[in-house]
Amino acid sequence: MALLTPQNKRALMDPLVLNNPIDKQVLGICSALAVTVMVKTAVVMTLAVLFVLSFSNLFVSLLRNHIPGKIRIIVELTIVASLVILVDQILKAFLYDISKQLSVFVGLIITNCIILGRAEAFALQNRPWPSFLDGFGNALGYGLILIFVSTGREILGSGSFFGIQLIPQAFYDMGYQNMGLMVLAPGAFILLGLIIWLQRTIFPYVEE
Amino acid sequence: MEYLSLFIKSVFIENILLAYFLGMCSFLAVSKRVDNSFGLGLAVIFVLTITAPTNWLINHFLLLEGALSWAGLPTVDLSFLRYITFIAVIAAMVQLVEMVLDRHFPALYSALGIFLPLIAVNCAILGTSLFMVEREYTFLETAVFGFGSGTGFFLAIVSMAAIRYKVRYSHIPDGMKGLGIAMIITGLMAMAFMSFSGISL
Amino acid sequence: MHSNRYTLLFAAAVTIVASILLASAATFLKPLQDRNEALNVKKNILKAAGLVNEHSHKYSADEIEKMYAEKIREQIIDSKGNHLAVTLKELDPKDTGKFPIFFDVENGDTAAVIIPVSGKGLWSTIYGYIALKPDLNTVQGITFYKHGETPGLGGEIEKEWFTENFKDTEIFDATGVLVSITVAKGEAPKGAKHTVDGISGSTLTGNGINRFLKADLKKYQPWLERHRKELN
Repeated sequence: MALLTPQNKRALMDPLVLNNPIDKQVLGICSALAVTVMVKTAVVMTLAVLFVLSFSNLFVSLLRNHIPGKIRIIVELTIVASLVILVDQILKAFLYDISKQLSVFVGLIITNCIILGRAEAFALQNRPWPSFLDGFGNALGYGLILIFVSTGREILGSGSFFGIQLIPQAFYDMGYQNMGLMVLAPGAFILLGLIIWLQRTIFPYVEE
Repeated sequence: MEYLSLFIKSVFIENILLAYFLGMCSFLAVSKRVDNSFGLGLAVIFVLTITAPTNWLINHFLLLEGALSWAGLPTVDLSFLRYITFIAVIAAMVQLVEMVLDRHFPALYSALGIFLPLIAVNCAILGTSLFMVEREYTFLETAVFGFGSGTGFFLAIVSMAAIRYKVRYSHIPDGMKGLGIAMIITGLMAMAFMSFSGISL
Repeated sequence: MHSNRYTLLFAAAVTIVASILLASAATFLKPLQDRNEALNVKKNILKAAGLVNEHSHKYSADEIEKMYAEKIREQIIDSKGNHLAVTLKELDPKDTGKFPIFFDVENGDTAAVIIPVSGKGLWSTIYGYIALKPDLNTVQGITFYKHGETPGLGGEIEKEWFTENFKDTEIFDATGVLVSITVAKGEAPKGAKHTVDGISGSTLTGNGINRFLKADLKKYQPWLERHRKELN
């Protein structure tokens, strides 16, 4: 199929595990901390990033030969920010309940370094279709880690998964307590550190 | 005096990096080396000190509801443009810093690599501007707050780089080297900083 | 390398396209958004008074409007507790000496008095309503409807398990002093009348709520005290 040549496939699949934006490229950590307390918010964030990252990559790539180098950051950010605000405005008007969930994320999406990072590193040098795939793949890789971390944090920190109570009340009666540390940011760091360790042990990679 | 306490507060108690966890990406990626951290820290101080007051002026004279009354448009509310104008000011400043570094400090410029343009999306910078709006600081307070936040970032990233420098001599499992252990150290540092902010479990 | 002229022209083009796009979106969608916002406010006033329960039934816009028009009466008061002859629409939000108060009127009797509260949490300004029973002391319900707190941490304040705790707490102590309600750090002592369970990891959001709840109730204190006297 012409749509998914080997290179294109790599653009899509690589960022899932081997070149994951969070644990290999170190992009998008801030938002990964803020939204991983619960699985549900992590999923909302993943979907938002999926949309914005794919399209921002597409637009930047379409304009890549016309953007003057001196002002490229501003142009890229204008594209990203306009996209995000536009989506937010439309949701506010037509799907108010969903937009209320998104409210906090709007700023986080604009400043998510994955988006600018991929625009700089990939979309500026590549054709639109591979760029779109690259954006899609990176967002999925980002979402994958987000969902791993949030699963750990929600189960350990609140004893639930997707808002459904997992740890039975009987455990609490016997003296079990939720791990407060997991709800706070340090818990996220430590979990992320462990996930990176696991991933790099399975797919051997040594830094420095 | 009150400016001094605001400064101390923004550097230590409400450290933008370790208490609010904004600006983590560049923090983790650049803190491998002390000299690069030093450079990035200075760049962030510079960008923050300039963008926070600039954004204050823009917010007060252009964006807020009724802010345009000096132009005879008292009912116009442009606050929906807040994100995009703030980020544009920040991006412009970053591009300026990039050009200056490229011209005068090429070594630092190439060392910072992709993380220089990424200051623009460093959440710490936009976060500071949004905090300034949220907390309704005056112009002078904003200037102090911007400088304080920058200094806090500088302090955190340089001390992190120093710790990682020492850790290089420790025996760490292969998969944990680099980013993995950096995450854990950040977690521990953040816990230490929590005692400042009064958060309890 | 592009010339400066091209750079400037490109920048201008991008700015114009982006601003036309955003400005037109904002202008066309504003009425719809305002309507949604207004509806959300009305829904939360009703929710604070315990009239809306979204578990059993999803309310349509018309239902909310109708219920609001039927049951809720608006009144503006001043800082001394006097009723003023201004309507909510005419109220200038910047006028700090006048504030709105809402009544849930059932069959001619006041079933609840609803007071708007707002103030700073950790990241953002939190907006909400607190409803008092006719004794003007016991809390009927509370809602927080607009905030930007961390989802899963401070953001939990809008969840029912948190707001439920406020029910039947009291804002005045036995001697008639306005003590407001405090969000505890951790669990509230059993049987506490002025304290509710906090959210672990969100002490600062809780502190924010404590601060503005007290400050906002203070503004209504003259009115509350005057009408409490009439009750006795």
